[in-house]
Amino acid sequence: MKAVCWHGKHDVQVDNVPDPKVLNPRDAIVKVTLSAICGSDLHLYNGYIPTMKKGDILGHEFIGEVVEVGSGVKNVTRGDRVVVPFPIACGDCWYCQHELWSLCDNSNPNAWMMEEIYGDTGAGIFGYSHLYGGYAGGQAEYVRVPFADVGLEKIAPGLKDEQVLFLTDIFPTGYQAAEQCNIHQGDTVAVWGAGPVGLLAMKSAAHMGAAKIVAIDKNPERLEMAFNHCQAETLNFEEDDVVEALHSMTGGRGPDSCIDAVGMESEGIGMEAVYDTVKQTLRLESDRPIALRQAIKACRKGGTISIPGVYGGFVDKMPMGVVFAKGLTMKAGQTNVQKYLRPLMQMVEKNEIDPSFIITHRMSLDEAPQGYKMFAQKQDGCVKIVLNPQARSQATH
Amino acid sequence: MNTTRTDIQKGRQAHTAVNVGRIERKASMIGGAALAITGLTKMKNMKFIPGVAMMAAGGMLLYRGKTGHCDMYEAMGVATAGTEDAGLVVEKVLTINRPPQQVYDFWHDFQNLPRFMQHLDMVQKTGNSTSHWKAKGPGDVTLEWDAEVIEDTPGERISWQSLENADIPNRGTVEFHEAPAGRGTELSVKMQYFPVGGAVGKMAAKVAHGINSRQVEEDLRRLKQILETGETPTACLVPECMTTH
Repeated sequence: MKAVCWHGKHDVQVDNVPDPKVLNPRDAIVKVTLSAICGSDLHLYNGYIPTMKKGDILGHEFIGEVVEVGSGVKNVTRGDRVVVPFPIACGDCWYCQHELWSLCDNSNPNAWMMEEIYGDTGAGIFGYSHLYGGYAGGQAEYVRVPFADVGLEKIAPGLKDEQVLFLTDIFPTGYQAAEQCNIHQGDTVAVWGAGPVGLLAMKSAAHMGAAKIVAIDKNPERLEMAFNHCQAETLNFEEDDVVEALHSMTGGRGPDSCIDAVGMESEGIGMEAVYDTVKQTLRLESDRPIALRQAIKACRKGGTISIPGVYGGFVDKMPMGVVFAKGLTMKAGQTNVQKYLRPLMQMVEKNEIDPSFIITHRMSLDEAPQGYKMFAQKQDGCVKIVLNPQARSQATH
Repeated sequence: MNTTRTDIQKGRQAHTAVNVGRIERKASMIGGAALAITGLTKMKNMKFIPGVAMMAAGGMLLYRGKTGHCDMYEAMGVATAGTEDAGLVVEKVLTINRPPQQVYDFWHDFQNLPRFMQHLDMVQKTGNSTSHWKAKGPGDVTLEWDAEVIEDTPGERISWQSLENADIPNRGTVEFHEAPAGRGTELSVKMQYFPVGGAVGKMAAKVAHGINSRQVEEDLRRLKQILETGETPTACLVPECMTTH
């Protein structure tokens, strides 16, 4: 089969690789009908996530059709259209049983690696380094899904692939980011990063009753999307003093909640940005937390900082004094996708939110290498690329 | 999830008299170096477990060649089982989301142990409280011993130890405590190995120290996975785990 494989920093290629097969009773094999490139895939592309190996198959946002199931899978059968959550979760450990699916004890075969780095393990993730289990990803024609009896959710009839694709990751991620803010009617929510997760966090925040949403980015197309689709007010961090502006937009209080939908490769301006870029390049700091620092400084007293953006290691110059003085709450982590699948699919069914508005590019699998480059460099107004592994390449056919 | 305490306890007095002939010493050094290097290479390739075992074995041969003293020879006929003050101790605790009685029952049937203890080939019941164990040693060597249960408190605690003439004298204790607020079982395991006594044994134990600890940790993780999920997760991508449509 064809699969998008990591070959090194800034080097992904479409390779011919063997097909997956059922290895455990609770496995299923899914024929992928639609697969997306995630912003967090760019951390792999840019070489910031350790333990990648040449030939690793990428992709953790994908849906498809069940072609084979193991003896322990009773909830789906051959031919079912299914959503595949990006965290692999067993459903039996204490964490899964408390809806903390992304913290599953049992699904990461390389748990010891994560224990060594982070002190404990988290769930395995499709196509996201050996640290996260070394599982083959879904930017491929077929994929093996472990614990399919827990993970797979049937797609309601009548829903199009593009409407449900983002239930695999970014829609629940945006939703969890907003939910962590404990939003009350009339709240102001500021969101750093108007990419797919940020935009869906804005949509979700509005759905939860936020009265004012502020989008922070530097990319005019993205800010326009936030304005048009999420009724957000916008700030360009290259033009505005973000913290000042947020204070004046909220009567001097600051936003009730701040969402960092940027993570470890945050950009900024001036000395601070230079400082973090130099330190990260020299590997003296693994993550650049510019957006996070701003969020902490801007947030109102007693407010919440919600962090769906991915961090991998250490950050410098964290204003912990501000966190303490203002009594802030910080919440972070991978998304517990399984918790949100059903309610969010119902929301899509009822037309309350249609997350497909973020798609800007549609490609075949063969075009993935160009797609990665375009997405990394934010060319052509690229916000979200979806790949169709069953489609023929327009470039070659 | 895991906490570990691993100690190399004080071994017996090191004994370094020459008891290996010259030619044999040279052969030992060459073979030992090769084994140790192969072991190191394997480690680099992340196949830690056989790698470290090989390194330990290689290190032992190297030592023998260099010093002209072989603890294996010395150890022959020396029964180290039951000595309180020698060997390698590995202690682990972890929580399994299953009731203590269920975890106890699974462990109590020693024939289940090879399902999660990777170095074991088989454990066979030979009597009411006795069993025969077969393990993989460095370089395809099979190590065997008989063991006997010395304490058995249903649902709470099992202790066993190897009998005389064991290839690797060892003992173990496992305890099953009820975890608070319905979190299942807090399992605590203490394993003691007595690898060929004296200085070489201690050295090998030092080399193998990290891995033995990790090996037990990985073994217990597999036990948890089997008891909680019914299978052990894998991301296997070698050709045998793949197919073509």
